[in-house]
Amino acid sequence: MSDKPARAIKLNVINEPKDSYKGGPSSLCPGCGHDQISNVIINAAWENGIKPHRIAKMSGIGCSSKTPAYYLGQSHGFNTVHGRMPSVTTGAYAINKDLLYLGVSGDGDSASIGIGQLIHAIRRNMDMVYIVENNGVYGLTKGQYSATADIGSKKKKGKANETQPIDLCALAINLGCTFVARSFSGSKKQLTSILKAAMSHKGFALVDVISPCVTFNNNDESMRSYQYVKDNEVTLHMADYIPHFEPMAEVEVPEGHFTDITLHDGSTIRLETISDSHDPSDSMAALTALHEAEVEKKHVTGLLYFDATKPSLAEDLGLVETPLLDVSDDQLRPSKDVLDTINKEFLNQ
Amino acid sequence: MDTIVNDFTINIATANGTGSQSANLILLQSLFDMGVPVSGKNLFPSNISGLPTWYIVRLSDEGYQAPGDRTHIQVLVNKATWTEDLAALEPGSVVVWNMDSKMPMDREDVVSYPVPMTKLARSLSPKLAKLVTNIVYVGVLAELLGITDEALHKAVAGQFKGKASAIELNTTALELGRNYAKENFTKTDPYVVESRAIEQQRFFMEGNEAVALGCIFGGVQLLAWYPITPSSSLAEGIIGWLPRLRTNDEGESTCAVIQAEDELAAAGMVLGAGWAGGRGITATSGPGISLMQEFIGLAYFAEIPSVFWDVNRVGPSTGLPTRTQQSDLAMLYEGSHGDTQHIVIIPGTVEECFEFGWRAFDISERYQTPVFGLSDLDLGMNRWACEGFTYPDVPMDRGKTIREQDIFEAMENFGRYRDVDGDGIPYRTLPGSGMAPILYRGTGHNPDGVYSEKPDDYFALMKRLKDKIDGARDHLPAPLLREDAEGDVGVIYYGSMENTIQEIDDILEATGLKVSQCRVRSLPLHSEVEQFIRRHRMTIVLEINRDGQLWGILRRELPNDIVGQVHSVAYSDGMPPRGRIYAEKILETIEEVSQ
Repeated sequence: MSDKPARAIKLNVINEPKDSYKGGPSSLCPGCGHDQISNVIINAAWENGIKPHRIAKMSGIGCSSKTPAYYLGQSHGFNTVHGRMPSVTTGAYAINKDLLYLGVSGDGDSASIGIGQLIHAIRRNMDMVYIVENNGVYGLTKGQYSATADIGSKKKKGKANETQPIDLCALAINLGCTFVARSFSGSKKQLTSILKAAMSHKGFALVDVISPCVTFNNNDESMRSYQYVKDNEVTLHMADYIPHFEPMAEVEVPEGHFTDITLHDGSTIRLETISDSHDPSDSMAALTALHEAEVEKKHVTGLLYFDATKPSLAEDLGLVETPLLDVSDDQLRPSKDVLDTINKEFLNQ
Repeated sequence: MDTIVNDFTINIATANGTGSQSANLILLQSLFDMGVPVSGKNLFPSNISGLPTWYIVRLSDEGYQAPGDRTHIQVLVNKATWTEDLAALEPGSVVVWNMDSKMPMDREDVVSYPVPMTKLARSLSPKLAKLVTNIVYVGVLAELLGITDEALHKAVAGQFKGKASAIELNTTALELGRNYAKENFTKTDPYVVESRAIEQQRFFMEGNEAVALGCIFGGVQLLAWYPITPSSSLAEGIIGWLPRLRTNDEGESTCAVIQAEDELAAAGMVLGAGWAGGRGITATSGPGISLMQEFIGLAYFAEIPSVFWDVNRVGPSTGLPTRTQQSDLAMLYEGSHGDTQHIVIIPGTVEECFEFGWRAFDISERYQTPVFGLSDLDLGMNRWACEGFTYPDVPMDRGKTIREQDIFEAMENFGRYRDVDGDGIPYRTLPGSGMAPILYRGTGHNPDGVYSEKPDDYFALMKRLKDKIDGARDHLPAPLLREDAEGDVGVIYYGSMENTIQEIDDILEATGLKVSQCRVRSLPLHSEVEQFIRRHRMTIVLEINRDGQLWGILRRELPNDIVGQVHSVAYSDGMPPRGRIYAEKILETIEEVSQ
């Protein structure tokens, strides 16, 4: 036993170290924006002082949906089927409304196969945090465009995208979503504060996070790097070769300002933080900001829309106060007398 | 003239959306209240208003509940099917027809009772003439057949509970019809109704309503559904009972109801409920089950309790949405991609609909797997005589779910997918408990629930799942056997065929053939089924479908030495099964096989 005093471990308000919020090692491509988001989830949950086992981690299918293994190892989770995480979450919520449901999804999951479920979860104001790790491509199937890919963006293979993208934030605001925010995987500070707020929100919180794919948005230059590898007789299968990148450098954009960010493929995106004069209760202003940003080829970030007045699904369901999970079996099954009475009523009708 | 008492079939041809259903139910209920064994079949269109509907009422002192072989009394109200309906009648049939329809009555070999139904109805209420027309023919039939006013009045009161003006209007309309028949007709047909002593008190009940009540007594905590014929009344049945049976004084419920955006979402919600430790159910029909396939596979592989009720209608595709069939069995048994096998429970009576309604949850939580209740349109939406419901004889079985910390800590070697007891059923902890949290997944996993692609892990997992479902066989509802000591031919059947089997048996017996019966009530097959087949020289599998789906399952699963003894009689035309058709097909099959 050492006499040295143990180094003080920083604890949160419920006396938990940050380690209690961590998960297993990531198997995503090194440098993936999704891993940065996982770290922000860990930070936000820790800073908010939520008991880790009272969080339910929900996801669909895709790179993003694998990430629940990489954070909150003390929480139960459900990696469901492609695009259908909202319905599973809704069913779980009906049984145990006291858990914090933290959903992580991708743009394939949310903007294509699962857009219907996303829309209806918003419509019900289902009480959950719904993070979209949005990179405009299908990563696990090796780089097809998703429905959020910007017009004119060019990925590793094939033609430039010419199909109108779906802006999930604009969609959500139009649907009356009660918490709509956009951020960037590299904006740790902004994303942390948005997620902390989302976790505290009663109702559906959509957090659309631009999270660049490090592997499948390579341009010709990168292609040359594949060729380079091949020419240099590195015995790697082309399709299996994943370039290693450093994670995006942290970037924080002051409110009302913009910054250009160079992505791994050399392209840039312009992030603009919505001005502090933006009124998040003004849905028209939020939509205007989104549309202006689209015209100017920018991405506007920050809390775009917020409405604390709308009842959430819990109120709509009209359930007893105790979560149904904890309602005893004899309360769930009416007594024999009740059935006898019903039988009699039927016989005498 | 010899009379024919309580042994004939009435066919009433109307258009849907005209109120004929309530008139027909009054006719059915009044016969029932006179103690006459009677059954009603509603052949309705997939439509809101204006398309042909037939209601078939069969009276049978023998207790036969299938529609008979022929129509004895035809009521003609609907012009659209008039000519066809009339042409189909056998000579000597009775026709009660609406003179005001301006349709020809060109059969001279039938007993004709023309009634100015529309005029009579208008005289009573010009505004509601269409509706009243239907009650008028009930009054006419009552007079012709001898249905008592007492029975009619009770049925009207039951149909329009507490609505005084509706009761008055309908009672007057019945009198109009009865008086018209009294004043204008001399009865020249042989068909009469006679009251029968009621030995066992019964009431009418639809299968869907009985399942719904069963679910309530099974402690259902989430109903997630998407409307589809013929299952909607099951979901609406649950919704209807909640305020009285599962709601506190503050109006708060212990069961959540969510009308989902589609069947996929409904299935997802049921899985979410099961994952969280609750009892979720969805009610649907074949097209819904088709859409739910992906989630069904997830529930099987990730071992999530979940209950699905399939009220079978005619497929494939949209099929005949308002007709009945037993054609989803194979899909339920092996739903979703990959190697799967699911538990299916199949009620054949309304009493069983109730019982399986609550039992489904117990089985699903016990085996941590999806459980399918298979009903059909005939059982689910038609009215059947019911002796009353029996209270569950066992407490709710919540399965191997660890809810207490000390029990969890006392467990050695916990793993979400570890076979601790050797029965293939693992233990589980629930989200929010903090006990042994894992990330549930539809991907391959090891006994600890961690992602794995290792050959040994996958092979062992698939074998355990197989053993688990296999182990359920003899704990599921056992087949019901009616064995004839002299018979060497067995008949296996299931579900709503129960209501026709007695008639089939009597038709066969009249030809000198005595058969034993085995009604299968669950999949995977109970070991009794194989023993039944072994006790008989030959076994016929009787089904309301084209391909003989249960027969296919039997052929694959029975030991080779008896596979050849099992033969299929499968037939479906959308109609509820008629005894003679199946009896004749059984005889043909026996003859073919014996050659």
